[in-house]
Amino acid sequence: MREYKGDRTTGFESPARDYIEPVIDLAVALDLRRPHTYPVRVTGQALRGRGIHDGDVLVVNAASEPVAGRVCVAIVDAEVLLATLHFKDAQWWLHHSELKSRLVEGDVEIWAIVEALVRFDV
Amino acid sequence: MFALIDANSFYCSCERAFDPRLRGKPVVVLSNNDGCAIARTHEAKDLGIKMGEPWHLIKGRPELRHVIAKSSNYALYADMSRRIYEILVGFGEEVEPYSIDEMFIDATSITDRGAFGVALRRTVLRATKIPCCVGFGPTKTIAKLANRLAKADRHGSGVCDLSRPAHRRERYPTIDVGEVWGIGPAAERKLQKLGVKSVADFVAMPESVVRDLLTVTGLRTVSELKGIGCLSLSTQPAPKKSLAVTRSFGQAVTLRAILEDAVCSYATRAAERLRDHRLIAGAMQIFVTTNQFAKKDLQYVNSITVSIEPSNDTFILAGAALRALEALWRDGYRYSKAGVILLDLEAQGETYASLLPSRDPEKSADLMEALDVINGRYGRLTLRPASIAARAGWAMRRGNLSPSYTTRLSDILRARS
Repeated sequence: MREYKGDRTTGFESPARDYIEPVIDLAVALDLRRPHTYPVRVTGQALRGRGIHDGDVLVVNAASEPVAGRVCVAIVDAEVLLATLHFKDAQWWLHHSELKSRLVEGDVEIWAIVEALVRFDV
Repeated sequence: MFALIDANSFYCSCERAFDPRLRGKPVVVLSNNDGCAIARTHEAKDLGIKMGEPWHLIKGRPELRHVIAKSSNYALYADMSRRIYEILVGFGEEVEPYSIDEMFIDATSITDRGAFGVALRRTVLRATKIPCCVGFGPTKTIAKLANRLAKADRHGSGVCDLSRPAHRRERYPTIDVGEVWGIGPAAERKLQKLGVKSVADFVAMPESVVRDLLTVTGLRTVSELKGIGCLSLSTQPAPKKSLAVTRSFGQAVTLRAILEDAVCSYATRAAERLRDHRLIAGAMQIFVTTNQFAKKDLQYVNSITVSIEPSNDTFILAGAALRALEALWRDGYRYSKAGVILLDLEAQGETYASLLPSRDPEKSADLMEALDVINGRYGRLTLRPASIAARAGWAMRRGNLSPSYTTRLSDILRARS
């Protein structure tokens, strides 16, 4: 049982046999194998304004530097949240739908920066 | 020059990376079947939990009521180990993945070791959330010792460099000889009887005494501690001589069909690992045992070794395992563990597999390839010999298993918007 890729035909020899290219690999396109890349599932609709819906899969970069205005995965009060990054008075702040602005320090941590999004049920 | 980078409480740190509720709390990770504590955060060590302690014997202690015990999630730990390895390779030096949580790096071309160590730690921590320590030394044994020192100093920089002889002369008298890589508890007791307590005492011993006490392995350790390298960086695992798949059952097995099921699945897994290493096996040992800690139970331990047709075909190995089990099975016992150990391993294709193969070798190879592809994509045992049940009564007990955050789409980390 070998996979047929348009090459090994039984009757007429396939004219495409020397031109076979692999299926597009979204794991490569989204850089999922890089050591700092993780997939994260969204819960909640509070970021619909940013185009981020409940159930979306985000591709996040844990090694990336914070950038003002970007959405990040953050650890706040021992919970994993999606928050928007702001830079004010030489410090990073997190904005989240249910919280007042929180300063990034101590137990408040930027876990990763959101870089891409996959939506299944469009 | 070597660097050894070693993750702190690796399994616990993997759990913490994705579950912020575990941060700052005492956490242990339990062995298969939720048996013993095999990884402990420093908070758990401070509560007196020892490495390898059976969890069911100690969990009732009042001071341990807040300890969080997780089942081992090897799918997660393997992927986090892969990430650490790839980060280290990204620094451009040769990397040897020595164990799931320790990697040696060839640091010969590194001039500023302190800065390199700090950069390694910071990069690994940011990308994986796993804290590590780094040790440097002119030999692997010294690098390993330096790593221990870095780890012992909880509030230090996490980096320790023992590359300078003067620095070693200063530190060796303060380090117990039992901290040295390769000096186990038995060797330590022997040395202490001779009054050898510190690493300095150990390296000052006459060679002949070391050889008599600890054989050439001990001599090698002394040379390494003196800065004379005996171990080089190896980026390939040593050729396997045997391959074992052994497990304790989630609950005692009393039915023959269920034991057959378990042994057949171990043989299936062993065959997969053989193919993964491109090896074939020429002999197989099967063993079964009852639980020796269950004093009331009748005890039975037995094993059998059989020659098999040299192969890595799941069906040949599973068939041989089942025939061997026929000779081992006795009615009336409560079996707690079984294992399949493959022996006489040789590289696939290097020998004549068999003059009279019972299965067409080409068809077998095609079928095994298809099996591995499908099981790789849809999960282990999706396709399996018909003798293995889909949900088995002997399967591992993993009561508090975390999600496979990085390897299963249904399990990935959730973040609330």
